[in-house]
Amino acid sequence: MQTFFIGFFGLAAVVFAVGVFRTSSMMRSALALLFSQTALGALFLAMQAEFLGVLQIMMMATEMSIMAIFMVMFMMDPGGLGGMDMSHQKRLSLLAGLGGVVLVTGIAAYTQWEGLASATEAAAADEQIRQLGRELLGRSMLVFETAGITILTAMIAATAVAVKVPEQGGSHES
Amino acid sequence: MNAVLLGLGLLAGIYAVALLEDRLTRGSFAPAAPLLAGIALLARESVVARKPDRLLFETAPVLLLSAGLLAAAVLPLSPTLVLVDLASGALFVNAALAYVLVALLMAGWGPDGAYAMVAGWRFLGQVIAYSMLIVMPITAVAIRAESLLTTVIVVSQEGWWNIFYQPLGFVLFYIASLAVCFLPPFDRPIAAGELAAGVEAEYTGARLAVLRLGRMVLVVSLAAATTVFYLGGWQGPWLPPWAWGATKVLAVAASMLLAGYYLPRLREEQLLAWCWKLGIPLALLNIFVVGVMVLAGL
Repeated sequence: MQTFFIGFFGLAAVVFAVGVFRTSSMMRSALALLFSQTALGALFLAMQAEFLGVLQIMMMATEMSIMAIFMVMFMMDPGGLGGMDMSHQKRLSLLAGLGGVVLVTGIAAYTQWEGLASATEAAAADEQIRQLGRELLGRSMLVFETAGITILTAMIAATAVAVKVPEQGGSHES
Repeated sequence: MNAVLLGLGLLAGIYAVALLEDRLTRGSFAPAAPLLAGIALLARESVVARKPDRLLFETAPVLLLSAGLLAAAVLPLSPTLVLVDLASGALFVNAALAYVLVALLMAGWGPDGAYAMVAGWRFLGQVIAYSMLIVMPITAVAIRAESLLTTVIVVSQEGWWNIFYQPLGFVLFYIASLAVCFLPPFDRPIAAGELAAGVEAEYTGARLAVLRLGRMVLVVSLAAATTVFYLGGWQGPWLPPWAWGATKVLAVAASMLLAGYYLPRLREEQLLAWCWKLGIPLALLNIFVVGVMVLAGL
């Protein structure tokens, strides 16, 4: 049953991910990416990583919606009515994609799963949350705080770039 | 068994909310009115706009309904009456509510109409304003309960409900929950007087019925969330737990519908400014105060 759901949500994630590039509507593309990520969240749930799954499902909804409005704002043809092509650098993408598949298949084939499976028996969901909390406020705190501050800096910088500074002494007609 | 009981409870709640809204908006009280209105909507022709994004147009009402139902699924009505008692339940409520935004964006974009589209994007602005005021108060609630299990959160409020323990969090969460359900004064996405019903403008017949039902479910879910997080859930003397739970949910829903009369509408940028410059600092202060109180053993 678990294997079935893992396969199902994994497949759904891939199908939606392909959908991102098979459409030329910005809205459909953004939402396909959202549902691909949501399927990954459901995959986490199926793999008994409850907190991570719920977090993934929650975060992506707002993030991808905000991405959607930027895609619609910046593209000349957000509805995709002009038959725009969403793919580019085809040969490079093809090679990179194939390389990725070979790499992942290789890792999956050469990992000794028997030892791993017994060593990492999933803890109960509430215990997982407790462990995650201790990890985030312990060993990994510096990593997360650094990432957080970096993102905050980028946000402030982006806003500063976007804000139009009124010209000093010039006319304010326009 | 639980699923059937909770389903019936939810249906009763939706009906009561529909009656209340009818009473408050039109001043009439006709017990059969929501039922008749529903039948009328189902029987009416469901028009599809001329060049819609059919996929998004059809998905939106169903997604809105599912988001409300999923949020309700982890909220307990009594110690045993809960559909799924998820270990990350409090977070899951928020995860489900995030898809209200996705549904409204779809409903805005789908029909290819100007009013609907403006209204859909408008809700995105509203989400950016209120979303932190949903998450941060829930964080403070979880700090006190030391758990994300919704049932444990209710038990943690024994003797001292969260509305008294962290009143600041309650006020912020309550205002934000009005914005989630796009109830007045935050009914910008369906701005009746200005955008010809906004995201609902192009929906008719059965699709509109599902969309409106979704919003009713959302109101009941948010009322249930407020009850569980701040009003001690099923706790209370004399009556059986489920009766207390249901009474509180209905009372909160009624107050949410009434609030629109007494709160002024804000423009988008005013809402954003108030939420970010005042709301978020207050929410952070709330987390800090609750943290100190928990550490002090209060």
